[in-house]
Amino acid sequence: MPFQRYLLGLGFLSPALLVLAGLFLMPVALTGIIAFTNMSISTGVSGGAHVITGNLLTGLRDDGVEPAALDRLAETVFEVTPEALARARAAGVDPAFVADIEERLVGRRFTDGRAFERELKGLPHRPRAIRDLKVAADLFGASILNTRFADAAAARQAVVGVLPDAPEATVDRIVAASYTGWQWTTGNFARLLSSPDTLRLIVNTVFYVAATLSFTVFVGLFLAIGTFYLPPATAGVFSVLWLLPRLTPVVLYAVMWKWFTWEGGFVYTAAEALGLPAFNYMKGSVPTAWTIVILVNGFIGASFSMILFSSALKAIPIQQLWASEVDGASRWQQVRYIVLPQLRWPILFVVSYQTLSLLSSYQEIWLTTNGGPGRTTSVWALESFNTALNNYTGDLQYGLGAAMAVMLVVVGVTLSVIYLRLFRFDDLVGRPKIEF
Amino acid sequence: MRLTICDFTKTFDRTTVIKDMNLVVEDGEMLALLGPSGCGKSTTLFAVAGIHRVDGGAILFGKRDVSHLPSQKRNVGVVFQNYALYPHMTVFDNIAFPLTIRREGKADIDRKVRAIAELAHIGDLLARRPSQLSGGQQQRVALARALVRQPDVLLLDEPLANLDARLRLEMRSEIRRIQMETGITSILVTHDQVEAMSMCDRIAIMDQGAIRQVATPSEMYRQPASRFVAGFLGNPPIVFLDGEVTGDGGFASRGVSLPLPGRLRHLEAGRPISLGIRPEHVGTSGGARVSGQVVFVEPQGRETLFDIELEGGAILRSIQPAGDDARVGDRVDWAVDSDRLLVFDRHGNAV
Amino acid sequence: MRRTLSLWPLALLLALASAPIAIMYLFLLVDTVTNAPPGSAIPNALTLAHWRFLVDPRVTGDVWRPTVTTLLFTASIVAIVLVVSSTGGYALSRLNVPFRRFLLAGVLVMHAFPLVTLIIGVFLVLQFVGLYNTLTGVILVKAALMLPFGIWIMKGFYDTVPWEIEMAGVQDGASRFTVWRRLVLPQVKPGLFALALFAAIDAWGEYMLPRILAPSSDFQVLSTYLNAVSDPDSTTYNFNLFKSVGLFYMLPILALYAIFRERLTNIFGGGTKG
Ligand SMILES: Nc1ncnc2c1ncn2[C@@H]1O[C@H](COP(=O)(O)OP(=O)(O)OP(=O)(O)O)[C@@H](O)[C@H]1O
Ligand SMILES: [Mg+2]
Repeated sequence: MPFQRYLLGLGFLSPALLVLAGLFLMPVALTGIIAFTNMSISTGVSGGAHVITGNLLTGLRDDGVEPAALDRLAETVFEVTPEALARARAAGVDPAFVADIEERLVGRRFTDGRAFERELKGLPHRPRAIRDLKVAADLFGASILNTRFADAAAARQAVVGVLPDAPEATVDRIVAASYTGWQWTTGNFARLLSSPDTLRLIVNTVFYVAATLSFTVFVGLFLAIGTFYLPPATAGVFSVLWLLPRLTPVVLYAVMWKWFTWEGGFVYTAAEALGLPAFNYMKGSVPTAWTIVILVNGFIGASFSMILFSSALKAIPIQQLWASEVDGASRWQQVRYIVLPQLRWPILFVVSYQTLSLLSSYQEIWLTTNGGPGRTTSVWALESFNTALNNYTGDLQYGLGAAMAVMLVVVGVTLSVIYLRLFRFDDLVGRPKIEF
Repeated sequence: MRLTICDFTKTFDRTTVIKDMNLVVEDGEMLALLGPSGCGKSTTLFAVAGIHRVDGGAILFGKRDVSHLPSQKRNVGVVFQNYALYPHMTVFDNIAFPLTIRREGKADIDRKVRAIAELAHIGDLLARRPSQLSGGQQQRVALARALVRQPDVLLLDEPLANLDARLRLEMRSEIRRIQMETGITSILVTHDQVEAMSMCDRIAIMDQGAIRQVATPSEMYRQPASRFVAGFLGNPPIVFLDGEVTGDGGFASRGVSLPLPGRLRHLEAGRPISLGIRPEHVGTSGGARVSGQVVFVEPQGRETLFDIELEGGAILRSIQPAGDDARVGDRVDWAVDSDRLLVFDRHGNAV
Repeated sequence: MRRTLSLWPLALLLALASAPIAIMYLFLLVDTVTNAPPGSAIPNALTLAHWRFLVDPRVTGDVWRPTVTTLLFTASIVAIVLVVSSTGGYALSRLNVPFRRFLLAGVLVMHAFPLVTLIIGVFLVLQFVGLYNTLTGVILVKAALMLPFGIWIMKGFYDTVPWEIEMAGVQDGASRFTVWRRLVLPQVKPGLFALALFAAIDAWGEYMLPRILAPSSDFQVLSTYLNAVSDPDSTTYNFNLFKSVGLFYMLPILALYAIFRERLTNIFGGGTKG
């Protein structure tokens, strides 16, 4: 019975649940999971294989694995097996020659290439050219080096084949180290905790959020109050103008800022004409880069807060203002004692809402300074994105990027929960009145 | 169709709002559900309508138990306090909506809508939208929409609360006329006693989720079952004096003594009772007399209302045809119609 | 109360603060139809040459294909957002749903905290289901990102519809679905319209998702097209040209803004009130 009651509601909700579960919850979960792996572009996202590479052997040698064993792993072994014979036939080696090999050498094993070639030279139907002989010989050679093994068991079998009397522990180490897929690890978090860059990024992020937020709130307030006192026509011009940054597609907006601040751009040309230092302000120096990052985001934020503050101002009963004028308050006193107190909640709202979106959004920075010059204007979210998905060198580290994103999500969700309390979320939840 | 509410209980979030309520509305009768705000009138109505679930007991239409049927299967017509007309539809479409839901034929719908619109005197408004109607007209549309599919029961939740005084008077008689013409069993929820008394066959008085008394209007006024009912009905309201029975079959309290009505002379002396005195029973005619000082005068046009303070400090209220006899501060000596006094015991029940 | 004279300093200050925007948007217009001498921002010649890209695909590549793709992209997103928000918002506002509080809080948190942060997760999900590098995938993701906002807005609009309308509908014999479809939905039309406008503008401007989630696909939307045109390293780099393309790109938005200014202002500000 209770379930039936929910049927209709769940029906209506199911499209939303489906989309949100697939594209919100799944990504959250995946990000959380990947944060504990070393997944990267080289490990791939699905499972991996086992490959023993030269690099791996060098690494193992440095880690103190017995060098003799490692040398043997690197050796090529020549073995006349039915598979190798088939391989040779398929490769177009003279069938008579292959028949010779089969007849005389089947089952033989050579660890030295020269010895094998010598044997081949002694066969009746050997090829004339020495090159052809070498090609044929190579077809019988096999090395464990650079061979892909689908799973650990196959890799182990191959390693034991080469090193029949190596201790179990050594084999285990080699097999484990040869895995190319991703692995579980807490290394991402350890790395974040120990890296000196982390602190820098945090400082950058805090500075960016605080500065942009202050700009947003103060400019928004100034605009809202300013237009409130101006005649409607003049005020209209400003409010039209200030909504534009929010409406403009982000690429165009970023490009306009580039035009405004780059070499040959507006400010550059103007500065040149006035004999002031002219350079690429967006990328040329740290203070100008920061200024631009804050302005680019601040203008968008200010247009948001201006709308909110303006509508709150319109809700103030005009009689209150008249009364204060009758009481002899100056314009400034009116703003200070009548207007600002009534904007308390909108201001609080803008601060909380913008904190979250500034913390998590990086599009504007990405498209303008992209954290430059160097990484001086990079913030946490941008760095996470760049680490995981947008690296110049192509070395995409999904695991590390996800770990950074997870930390951001934790901060964001914590803040959201606090804000929900603050804005009395409970008042917004009512019970359905139709009970059937 | 006879409507029976049997041991009805309703609980919201573990607070029981209505407990074991019983009520019967006879076929074709119009019953007023009257009570103070928050006593559970709307809750009862919504349970009958099938909007709220019942948490205990049963609701029967005739012999059919509808307690667990959804609204759609009950065939109830409801008129809401704010009319709940569909703003995006014309009056015609509003009234026709229940019929289109039933997929009736176009011609049928047209005929029925016009007939009911005639009955409600809104035949010429069918093309308008609700926002282009006055309050009274919206009320008529809501009524027409509730009636058009001939419901078994008609429920009206404070239908007149949003109208101005003059329209209220007009719609009072209109609703009653239409109800009588259609003969549909109806419940009218109201907290206005005049409405209840003037429009309905019987009144059920509710308080704190329970029915206190069910009776015809005049019976309820003259013989209230409890102190609560007596206090709730009557405007200006009744005055209560707390005291006890004296040896000679009278009543005494704080310096007031009055004879009890003839049929109650036998009460044993010393029993604590309270006396209810309606304002119209204090003044010019009656067997007993009280004297005191006028402390308040409120002229109401045809009548004048007085408060007089008796020697012991008790206040009595009197309403009399207008004249220019007494002023504030005057000492008066007025008659009390002691046969019409109401007597209640310690628990507030009528004796 | 408005002593006009004393307002001049205020207007001046406002103008000063607005100068960067005013200059940027003014030159966005001017530079598309003029040429300026090197080393100066002041134009000295009128020309329509910068708009040649509209008819000549040799200038920067065909612009009409990305335009059509963007239209399709935007329309699909608007449709998904409207349908899913109007049902989801209704369920949360009016119907019996298990864990209502939790779901509502979840929607709000998702709305407040734009999970573009989770793009790594989204990227992997798309790879797993095979929608990476497809237009469908990007559309779904963009719509999903807008949903919390849409659901929240629609819930707010539904909350303002009187319960009595629904009760009356149920009394009149209509099922809850019919009540929603025929009685409630018409009452929230302004909300649907505002949401459609918002979603359209948002989707039209989207850049990051196509770029990250469909980097090597064969479709291009106007944002990625514009980004390619405005790449300073490209051979065709010329700011008159990218401004013309940019203005062309922004025209539909400007048109919507001109027509529906009031509603847009509401939803861009008040509409997001938590
Ligand atoms: N959905 C609900 N949840 C919790 N309590 C409720 C709910 N609906 C009503 N109540 C409570 O039930 C009691 C009765 O409410 P009801 O609306 O029936 O009163 P009423 O007699 O119609 O009052 P009014 O004359 O003010 O309309 C009230 O105390 C009210 O607070
Ligand atoms: Mg009520």
